[in-house]
Amino acid sequence: MGPKTVNAKGDTVYHQIPAFRFLNQDSVIVTEKDVEGKVYVADFFFTTCPTICPKMKTQMLRIYERYKERDDVRILSHSIDPDFDNTSVLKDYANRLHIEAPKWNLLTGDKATIYRLGQKSYMVSAQQDPNEAGGFVHSGAFILVDKNRHVRGIYDGTVETEVNHLLEDMEVLLKEQ
Amino acid sequence: MKYLLLLIIPFFFSCQSKEEITQQQYSVEGMALYKANCENCHQADGSGLRDLYPSIQQTKLSPEALACLLKNGKKGNGFMPANPKLQALDIAELMTYMREKWGGKKQIYPADSVKLALQNCR
Ligand code: HEC
Repeated sequence: MGPKTVNAKGDTVYHQIPAFRFLNQDSVIVTEKDVEGKVYVADFFFTTCPTICPKMKTQMLRIYERYKERDDVRILSHSIDPDFDNTSVLKDYANRLHIEAPKWNLLTGDKATIYRLGQKSYMVSAQQDPNEAGGFVHSGAFILVDKNRHVRGIYDGTVETEVNHLLEDMEVLLKEQ
Repeated sequence: MKYLLLLIIPFFFSCQSKEEITQQQYSVEGMALYKANCENCHQADGSGLRDLYPSIQQTKLSPEALACLLKNGKKGNGFMPANPKLQALDIAELMTYMREKWGGKKQIYPADSVKLALQNCR
């Protein structure tokens, strides 16, 4: 599961997400500390996205509802239009979607930082593009990250069957230490 | 699927009146347009997504207001994108489909009426 390299000793090494620091819909700072020892799913979206985001949110809601009562699961949705998606816009969106932090964090922050994190760490495309509907290109990927912040799987968040696989893999990761 | 339907319809409804056939053509095209432009938000069954995207199963909008909404979108409480690519005929087909699916009425909404409505959008 997941993109990996093999180090000099011959051990498998998964790609690790670096430290981060963003604000969520409750204007609370969220960092890597908040996902310590938890399995989380990350994605990239923006609130005015006309295309794939609503599909992604429909699927993410399945994950949210399924693990609502578990403290070792988190969801981090990063806005790629953080200048528009400030904390109050995100709060309104969260209310309409009937979701709550800290289980599901809608994150905003410095745009360049979010794009760099998306491209370099989660390895998904996320950038501004005036030719795209809504003004941004981004993938519909859901990235599954284990308790040690290692990327362990990437799934198409617009496709129900792919998200079924994510849910299966999630169970495996939850059993890991 | 869409093309299959197009093939079947002339055969299936060949004993129907010309109006009924036109209505079916509008409706089938409208269904494809709905899938491509609307379903992401309002879902295939029109039920919407919680309070983010409203249900459109029982809209109280007048046909004129609906035509304008589909063309120009709305930035109000929520955000519905404009559809500059949709022409009057496309919107007429969409409205005919919605009317049949959620209004229970098999009646064409004419492209001319859409044209007129679009000239008078607020
Ligand atoms: C990006 C998501 C999105 C897409 C795509 C979208 N809509 Fe909407 N739609 C909305 C939102 C949000 C509203 C509520 C707008 C408001 O009143 O603030 C809305 C409102 C409506 C309403 C009015 C409901 C009512 O009774 O008040 C109708 C009808 C409707 N949309 C039909 C469509 C159709 C048909 C399409 C395809 C051409 C479409 N929408 C595409 C998000 C979307």
